[in-house]
Amino acid sequence: MVGLVIVSHSRLLADGLREMVEQVAGPEVAVATAGGTDDGRLGTSALLIEAAIRSADSPDGVLVLLDLGSAALSLELALEALEPQLRSRVTVSQAPLVEGAVLAAVQASLGDPLARVAEAAAAAAGMSKLPGA
Amino acid sequence: MPELRITVIDPAGLHARPAAKFVQAASRFSSAISIGNGDRFVDAKSLVALLSLGVRPGSQVVLRAEGADASGALLALATELAPYVEPVSGQPGGRETA
Repeated sequence: MVGLVIVSHSRLLADGLREMVEQVAGPEVAVATAGGTDDGRLGTSALLIEAAIRSADSPDGVLVLLDLGSAALSLELALEALEPQLRSRVTVSQAPLVEGAVLAAVQASLGDPLARVAEAAAAAAGMSKLPGA
Repeated sequence: MPELRITVIDPAGLHARPAAKFVQAASRFSSAISIGNGDRFVDAKSLVALLSLGVRPGSQVVLRAEGADASGALLALATELAPYVEPVSGQPGGRETA
């Protein structure tokens, strides 16, 4: 089953989103978080991201979702630190974090492959906040 | 095609958690399953599509299934939705329920 990594500048945000994702999608999906810096401040950490990817990894791969700004730079460093084989089964999502994580987790819970999970997350970008309104 | 009409009574409509469980249940069947609200039908195996339906309290939704396990699928989905909908009378078959 595809694993998820949530990268955020805030540890609270990442942990809160994981709680929400697990409640919606169920406990089977591995969701790892990398929130905040190594010393607990707001920011992102390549080391924490690398550890989260390793923890969520499975033969089916990992989808990484991130919040904004320099998260992408830290993620780049983390990806460089991975051995090529592991790196090759990591996909980085462009999806908005909250909707993307929920949609990806539910898709992963169906046992779908990484490409389908990434596709489900990407659909979050077009989601209406007020459907039917 | 077996079809089932149900009325959502949960005060939050069909919100994320039951919608996700619904999609997970639908995905266990090989039949093509769609869910409609008004005249709009979407793939019941897609969470983003289901959430886009905007199912609100009082919405009457229609489930349709087509395939070898269609009737079983409707039964399972009706069971999945039971806590959020008005009790369903009748059996999912080739006819509409009242």
